[in-house]
Amino acid sequence: MEDQQTPLQVNDLDNFFNLAFDESTRANVRKAALWARICALCAFIGYGVVLIVAFFGRQGYLPDSEEGARINSMVRTTSVVTVLITAAIGVFINYVLYRFATATVRGMDAMDNISTNEGFNQLRRYFRIYGILLIIVLSFVVLGFLYAVISGVGSGA
Amino acid sequence: MENKQPDSFLGMQLDYDGGNILRETVRWSRFLSIVGFIALALFLLAFGLAGSTLLATFSRVIPAIEGLAELGTALVVIGLLVIFAIFGFLVFMLYRFSVLTRQGIEHQDQVAFAKGMQCLHTYFVVAGIVAFLSLLSNLLSLTKLFNA
Repeated sequence: MEDQQTPLQVNDLDNFFNLAFDESTRANVRKAALWARICALCAFIGYGVVLIVAFFGRQGYLPDSEEGARINSMVRTTSVVTVLITAAIGVFINYVLYRFATATVRGMDAMDNISTNEGFNQLRRYFRIYGILLIIVLSFVVLGFLYAVISGVGSGA
Repeated sequence: MENKQPDSFLGMQLDYDGGNILRETVRWSRFLSIVGFIALALFLLAFGLAGSTLLATFSRVIPAIEGLAELGTALVVIGLLVIFAIFGFLVFMLYRFSVLTRQGIEHQDQVAFAKGMQCLHTYFVVAGIVAFLSLLSNLLSLTKLFNA
């Protein structure tokens, strides 16, 4: 009886076996990876430019005075630190995207499942990092909103 | 009549690991796209309700916006709508990629899977063009730095 039931059971290993990277799908995935590489390269150059502007740009917000110079220096330091952190996170995310592009193109060209899986794994990491960052940002937005509401209620009472 | 079946047997197959990786990929991309839709809707609502106030506030922070506002409110509104449309399309493609790829994997539907990959392609084409345009904008800020 058990032998008769076995073919009816769905094996996870066979679940994906009917899906194929046919010629048009391979072409689409390859082009997606090529454009992803363009995205990543543009981002790398962009972050380089932003860093140059942050370090060497003129940022005189206030007129020359002791107080003005102190505030200008503080604003400059804050903006440089912010740009450094943003650039570090951005470069890391785009490096993951670049690895997706490289591995996927290699996998599609060589019809190699290992490289393709490695590529899609990097894409998964890329979306996951963005998702986690989004959750963190949304948490701060919600906290800020709650703080505004509570302080509004406090000042009204 | 063209028969594509042999290609399916001779070509690459989506294996177990690849399927699992793609499943998690589409889960995150769907989350991102849904949050993107909500964010775009909120931005549209904010600009619809208090567009002129927001522009005036931002023009104090970013002087370039003040210059844009001088061109005319209609032009600024059209510009913003174009930006919303581009980002809306980007988010829509991400959503379609996640839905179709998931449908393809779960129902072993080759057509849906192929459409999902096509949406991923379109998504990265648009994202690449946006990235290139923002790079040009960054380079413009660099030339301003050296000209100053």
